[in-house]
Amino acid sequence: MRFRLVRYFTFASLGMFIVVTLALTYFEHQQASFFKEVQSAEAEFIKHVQANFAKQQEEAARHDLLAIHERANVDLTLLFANMLWEKDFAPFVAKVQAIPVDQCRAIEDITGPDGKKKQPDSKKACYQELGAKIRALPEYKSLDAKVFSAMKKSSVFKVKVFDMRGITAYSSEAAQIGDDKNGNAGWKNAMAGKPSSELTHRDKFSAFEGVVENRDLISSYLPVHAPGSDKVIGVFEVYTDVTGFLDQIKQTSAKIATTARDNENQMEKVAEYNLDEVSKMSNNGIAIVAGLLLLLFASLFAIVRRAETIIRQQEHEREQAHQQLAQAEKMALLGQMVAGVAHQLNTPLAFSRSNISMVIDGLKSFELPLKVAHAFARTVRKTDGDRVTLNISRTRAQLQTIESQDDDVVMLAQMLGDTLQGLDQMRELVENLRDFTRLDREKVTHFDINKGLHTVVYIAKSVIPNRIEVVEEYSDVPEVECNPSQLNQVFLNLINNAAQAIPDNGKITIRTSLEDMRVRIDITDTGSGIPADVQPHIFDTYFTTKPAGEGTGLGLPIVKSIVEEHGGTVAFTTQDGAGTTFTVHLPAAFPETLLKAA
Amino acid sequence: MRDKKGLVLCVDDEPNILRSLHWMLHKEFDVMTAPDGLSGLEMLRKHDFDVIVSDQRMPGMMGSEFLREACKIAPRAMRILLTGYSDLQAILRSVNEGEVFRFVNKPWSNEELMKTVADAATIAKTQPVPVPVEDIAGGGESVLLIDDDKEMIELVRQALSPDTQFRHASTLSEAVTILSAQPVGVLMSETRVGRMDATPLVKLLKQRHPEIVSMMFTVNSDVDAIIKLINQGQIYRFIPKPVKPGFLKLMLSSAVNKHRELKRSPGAVRRHAVEKTPEGLEEKLEQDIQLEAVRIAPATAGTASATNDSSFMHRIGIGFRRIFGTA
Repeated sequence: MRFRLVRYFTFASLGMFIVVTLALTYFEHQQASFFKEVQSAEAEFIKHVQANFAKQQEEAARHDLLAIHERANVDLTLLFANMLWEKDFAPFVAKVQAIPVDQCRAIEDITGPDGKKKQPDSKKACYQELGAKIRALPEYKSLDAKVFSAMKKSSVFKVKVFDMRGITAYSSEAAQIGDDKNGNAGWKNAMAGKPSSELTHRDKFSAFEGVVENRDLISSYLPVHAPGSDKVIGVFEVYTDVTGFLDQIKQTSAKIATTARDNENQMEKVAEYNLDEVSKMSNNGIAIVAGLLLLLFASLFAIVRRAETIIRQQEHEREQAHQQLAQAEKMALLGQMVAGVAHQLNTPLAFSRSNISMVIDGLKSFELPLKVAHAFARTVRKTDGDRVTLNISRTRAQLQTIESQDDDVVMLAQMLGDTLQGLDQMRELVENLRDFTRLDREKVTHFDINKGLHTVVYIAKSVIPNRIEVVEEYSDVPEVECNPSQLNQVFLNLINNAAQAIPDNGKITIRTSLEDMRVRIDITDTGSGIPADVQPHIFDTYFTTKPAGEGTGLGLPIVKSIVEEHGGTVAFTTQDGAGTTFTVHLPAAFPETLLKAA
Repeated sequence: MRDKKGLVLCVDDEPNILRSLHWMLHKEFDVMTAPDGLSGLEMLRKHDFDVIVSDQRMPGMMGSEFLREACKIAPRAMRILLTGYSDLQAILRSVNEGEVFRFVNKPWSNEELMKTVADAATIAKTQPVPVPVEDIAGGGESVLLIDDDKEMIELVRQALSPDTQFRHASTLSEAVTILSAQPVGVLMSETRVGRMDATPLVKLLKQRHPEIVSMMFTVNSDVDAIIKLINQGQIYRFIPKPVKPGFLKLMLSSAVNKHRELKRSPGAVRRHAVEKTPEGLEEKLEQDIQLEAVRIAPATAGTASATNDSSFMHRIGIGFRRIFGTA
C-alpha cells in the first residue's frame, strides 16, 4: 500500500489537535465549575454568618429588653408592694389563702386529642367558682380601683397577684382570678426568690384600658419579700407592653437583614462577574491554544508537504535512474551479443568473400577456352558433314596456353559450395537473431521453451569463451504462455552469469523438464559457486560483486522480476568451488487450463 | 610442379577458412593446415615452415599464445595473425611475446594477404635469423626517450645500463634535432607527445632506419592504432602503463640487444620490414614538426634564435631531411 504522508499527517495531527482542544475545554470547564462551587460555598458561608449575626444581635436585643424590663418590673413591684402590699394586698391575700382549693385540685386533668394535659370543664368551673368567691371578698373592689388608678397611663398592661399556693388572688383582668398557677415555671421561680420574665406576643390582650391587639408583652413573675427579710410572701405578675421596643428591634433586624441581602446580592453579582471573567478568560485561552495549534499545524503541514514533494521527486529520480540502469544493463548485454554476433558473422564473411574473389579470378581463365568452344561450335554449325577443318595458323600460340582445367572447375564449384555454406551460416545467425529479439512477433504468445533456449544458447555461444562447453538436454515440455523476448533476456542473462562463473574450462548444462504441471529449466555451471555471504543478496537491486562500472547489479533482479511477472519462480543451489544451478519454474500452458479459462 | 615460393602453415578452427586460405595460397605456396594451436605446434616441429598464418580466436589455445610458442620452435618462420574481434591485451601480448610480423584483419583482401605472405616468405627464405647471442659486444648506443613526463624520464634513466647513452626529448622537434645529430639505437616514445601524434615519426623512422628498435608506451590505445603501428612501424615492444621498473629494465636491455643484433647482421633488418606508410605522411610530419617548433620556440629557444626564426626552421628542415634522407 502507498504511504500517503501528507494525508496521514493531516488526519493524525488534526485528530490529536481536536483531542487536545477537547481535553483543554474539559479541564477549563472543570476549573470553572470548581470556581463556581467555591464561590457559592463562600456565599453560603457569608450568608450563614450574616444570618447568625443578625439572629444573635436580635436575641441580644430581646434579652436586653427582657432584662431591662424585668429590672424595671422588679422596681415597679417593689414600689407597688411598698405602696399596696402591707395595707391592701397582705390582708387580701391572707383571706384568699384561707379559701380551700383542694376540691378543685382533686379533679383529674384529662389528655386532649393533641396529647397535652387539659383541665376538664368541671375543674375550670371549680376555679371559676373560686374566682367568684375571691371577687366577692369585700376588699376586692377598693383594691381593684387602687390598682387601676396606680397603673393608669403606664406601660403596665396587667397586674396579677398569687397567693402562696399559686392561686390567682388578684388580676387586673377579673376573669382570671381564681386560676391555679402552681405548675407555672415563672411562679415557681418567683416562689424560690428569683424573678423571671418572658416575652410573648398576644393577638388580643385585656389591658387596663380595655382590650388591645397585636402586642408584644413582657410578663414578669416577681417575688414579694417580707419587709427586711428574704422570705417570699407572695408573687406578682406584671405584664409590660414592649411592642414599641420590639418593633425597633425588629426594624434593626430587618435593616441588618436588608444589608445582608444587599451584601449577598452584591457578592452574587461579583461572583457572577468573576465567573463570567473566568470563563471568558478560559475561552480566550482555549481559542489562543487552538489558534497556536492551528499555526503549528499549518507550519508542520508546509514542512511535511515540502518533504513529500522532495521524497516524491527523489523517488521519481530513483525510478528514472533505475530504469536507465536497467536499460544500460540490457544495452550492455545487447552490446556483448552484437560483438559476439559480429564475430560470428565475420568468419563466414571472410571465407565467402575470399572464395568469391577467387571464383571471379578463376572465371577469367575460362574466357579463352569458352571463346574457342564457341568458335568451334560456330564452325560446326556451318558444316553439314561430320568433319570440320580448323585454321589455327593465327591462334596456335593462344590455344597452346590452355591447360587442363578439370581440377579448376571442381575447385570453383567447391569454392561456391563453401560460399553457400557461409551464406547459410549467416542466414542461420540472422534467423536466430530474429528469434531472439522477436521484434516482428506477438508480444505474448505460447512459446516452445526448448526452441527458445536453443536460440539463446546459439546467441550466447558467440559471447561466451570457446573453452566453455554448452550442453543442451531438453525433454518434451508443454508450451508456456509468456513474453518470449523477456524470457530470452532471462535465459541469456543466466547463461552469461554461468559463463562468467567459470574461470577456466568448464561446462554449462541447460536442462528442461516437467515438474508438478510446471516447466522446470535448470542452468547448471561447473564454476566457482556463490560465496555464502553473497547468496542472500544476489537478487537485491544494485548488488554486484563486479568492480564499479562493470556490473549494474540489475541482472538477477531483472531476471527475478520477469520470471515472477510470468507467475514463475527462480531459485538457486550452489556449492562453493563446484558450481551453481539456477532453476526457473514457469507455469505450463496446458490446453485444459486454457479451456477452463475460456 | 613448379617451384613453390615457400611452405605456409595455416591455423584456424574454422575448416571453411582453412580451405579458403588453402585455395588462395596453394598455387604459389605449399600449404599445410592445422585445426588448432596444439596440432599447429606439432607440425612446426616436423616441417620447416617459412610463414605461419594463424587466427587469433580459437578454442583451446589462442592465436597469440600459439605464435609465442611458434616463435620458440620455429624462429625462422614469419608470423602473421588474423584478427577479427580481439581484445587489446591479446594483441599486445602477441606483439611482445610472439613478435608478430603483420596483423591481417578479417575479412581480408586476397590480394593484400597474398602479398603479405609472399613478402614474408621472401624475407624468411633470404634473411637469416640473427643468432641471439647473449651480450653482443657493443656499447655507447644511445637511447632516445620522447616524453614530456619528468617521472618517466627519471624511471628510464634509472633502468638503463651504464654502457648506454641516454637522450630525451620533450617535443618532436627536439627529437628531430637529436636524431639528426647522432645515430640512435633504441627509441622509446609516448603515442602522444604534448599535442602531437608521435606515431608518424616512429613509423617513418623505422622505414628509413630499420636498425632503430622502437618501443611505445600504451595507456588505452585502440586495437586499430596498435595494429597500424605494428604493420607500419614494427614496434619491437609495447610497454603497458603504469610502467613497472623491473619490466622496463628487462625491455630496455632486450631492445639494446636487439639493436646490436640488427647492427651486426644488417640483412636481418628485413625481418622487420614495414608496410608502406600512406602517401604524404612524411610531408605532413615535417610541416607539423615545424609548426610545433614555432609554437614552442619563443618559450624554449628565445635567447639566441628568437630573431632568426627562418634559420631555425631551416635547421629543422635540414635535420629532417638528414634523418629521412629524401633526395
